[in-house]
Amino acid sequence: MSLVGDSPGTPTAGRRPAQAGNAVVGYFAGIRDVVVLEMKQRLRSRGWYIMLGIWFALIALVSWLTWASWNASQQFMREMPDTMMGEPSGPGSMIFEVVLAFVLLFGLLVAPALSANAVNGDRAGGTLAILQITLLTPGQILWGKFFAAWLVALAFLVTSTPFLVFGVMQGGMTPGHVLVSLLMLAVELAVVCGIGVGISALAGRPLFSIVVTYLTVAGLVVGTLIAFGLGTQLTQGTVLANNAQYPYLERQFPVPNTNGQPDHTCVGPLEEHVVYRTERVAWVLAMNPYVVVADAIPYPDRNVQGMHHHYPGMIESISQSSRYALAGPEHSYPCANGVPHPQYLGQTTPLWPLGLGLQLMLTGLLMWLGWRSLRTPAHRLARGTRIA
Amino acid sequence: MPGSDPAPGARAEGAAAPYDAVPYDAVPGGAARGVTAQRVSRRFGSVQAVEYMDFHAPAGKVTALIGPNGAGKTTLLLMLASLLRPDAGTIRIDGFDPVREHAAVRRKVGWMPDTLGVWDSLSAREILTQMARFYRLPAEGRGQRVSRLLHAVRLDALADQPARALSRGQQQRLSLARALIHDPSVLLLDEPASGLDPGSRVELRNLLRQLAASGKAVVVSSHVLSELDEIADGAVFVNQGRTVKQQTLEEAAQEGRRYSVTALDGAALSARLHEFGLVFRAEGGRRPSVSLVLMDDDDAASLLKRLVESGVGVVSFAPTTGALEETYMTLDAER
Repeated sequence: MSLVGDSPGTPTAGRRPAQAGNAVVGYFAGIRDVVVLEMKQRLRSRGWYIMLGIWFALIALVSWLTWASWNASQQFMREMPDTMMGEPSGPGSMIFEVVLAFVLLFGLLVAPALSANAVNGDRAGGTLAILQITLLTPGQILWGKFFAAWLVALAFLVTSTPFLVFGVMQGGMTPGHVLVSLLMLAVELAVVCGIGVGISALAGRPLFSIVVTYLTVAGLVVGTLIAFGLGTQLTQGTVLANNAQYPYLERQFPVPNTNGQPDHTCVGPLEEHVVYRTERVAWVLAMNPYVVVADAIPYPDRNVQGMHHHYPGMIESISQSSRYALAGPEHSYPCANGVPHPQYLGQTTPLWPLGLGLQLMLTGLLMWLGWRSLRTPAHRLARGTRIA
Repeated sequence: MPGSDPAPGARAEGAAAPYDAVPYDAVPGGAARGVTAQRVSRRFGSVQAVEYMDFHAPAGKVTALIGPNGAGKTTLLLMLASLLRPDAGTIRIDGFDPVREHAAVRRKVGWMPDTLGVWDSLSAREILTQMARFYRLPAEGRGQRVSRLLHAVRLDALADQPARALSRGQQQRLSLARALIHDPSVLLLDEPASGLDPGSRVELRNLLRQLAASGKAVVVSSHVLSELDEIADGAVFVNQGRTVKQQTLEEAAQEGRRYSVTALDGAALSARLHEFGLVFRAEGGRRPSVSLVLMDDDDAASLLKRLVESGVGVVSFAPTTGALEETYMTLDAER
């Protein structure tokens, strides 16, 4: 078994002239190789398929329950013809919304588990240094880990697609809704995977990084709501406004449709009214994954279309209330600056680009810090860690 | 974007010696083939792991890195392998600096860590194939290269089993094959023999000798000294982060070796040795024996002959320790 003179040949890198294009191809080839390694390592565990099966069953259950409860409520409405509520747009939108919220929730729960031990798990297993000793760069290792985690997370998303499509087929939604929402869900999963991989490169122990990643996700989902609520208290300010007069005896709910016209007139002198200037803290709310997804999904402008009693869905409500916060009292307080505003805000300034931008900044920062910690020869090591 | 390492491939282009058709001598720094470290220091927090260590491992030789646990062996190997940055001092791998030219160094260095890192869901063949990709070896011939290495470390029968099914010794051999995948000119092996059965140790020894004979610089760290005697051409002794001694095996042998002699009649043996005017000491043990230092093999042969001729019933006559162990123990005593 002679190994002498057993040359492995000329590596492609040595043969080709140094060209920028080839360097880019080589860089991505390295990432692909890491992804292949990670996928082989991950997909061969049986637990993964069991998780996928549980996921599928759970979403099927949720979809069925939603559909059944909608049917039950329809029956109830038929028995009471003088219902106050307008005609909902069909079970489609409701199933769609519930499944979407559920898929996002589960995605946010699963993605940290898939990503947050990607780097330090390898460090603990002694395989990270084996990657680092090869010609792979820290960036290729990190991107490879990220894409592998993301691809697995996307598999969960793909599993839930049939139920989103089912929601669309029940009416009231378009395929565009499914596409946009799947896209936004995929982006949110990428954000969480990026956070997880970044933290796993920074933290010494897998357990610690998984917990920190879950806390970060919880911070995005719940923390942003709390921070927005508390932060709003600090934004008390004033706005000049006069008094609104409604043609109705009392304000009605649901809001009567006025075809985009304000439902009130403004009379009297301008006075200072105490308001919360929510636009100053709307960026906190914007970082919420639910806000980003809900705000990105299109819905018709209710002010333009002459609709009947309108029953806004969950997605639309989240989107409009967060846009309401972004608009602030200048654009939402009745008779601010003596200008009547329509009650239903046709707020068209979307919040999700801001929120997604902030999320990507956070992810980018963590990935960059993670990349720094993967550089070799290593300068600083975390306390108590061995490089191999 | 993370990852734009300063031109990973570009700089090493002309210098990637074993792969290009460039002969070794034409490589810049070709005169300094092998591994050299001068006054290398590395500190972890308050612990000075390596302090002004000197180390030289010439090409074509097996160099043992010997020292007690915690002496800084692994730290030194990590610095040589371009994974750890030295605080001070210079390192050259075939003339390349691991800190500034790590891409070039990584093409030349095969590293076998003291921890068994295996991707346990992958088979041995897949692990080696994947490593070949990471070293950007050309696709053609990759399969044969992997098969040959699997054969060399006697894993061909288990090549398609998941790595978790391999025993510790088998994983150790896989780790060695992994270090060899890109035909490195420098091999850094951290405790390669630990966990190997005697048969595998002999094979490892033959393999390492063969690799050294083909012109590679082989560095083996260990504290199992008896087996290093058979493998190593030279040794570097380190302790408490410092190089204590650097010597070739011939030099070690010239310092004399302690032999242990037992005879049927211990008193007769002692009397005879007195007669010959030799300094010896009585040793405890299951059988009464004496030990004495002999300078070389000729001395040993002539003493044995004289003892036998003088009628002493010699039962055993053997070196108590290996040549390296002898040095190691004297160093230990100095400490």
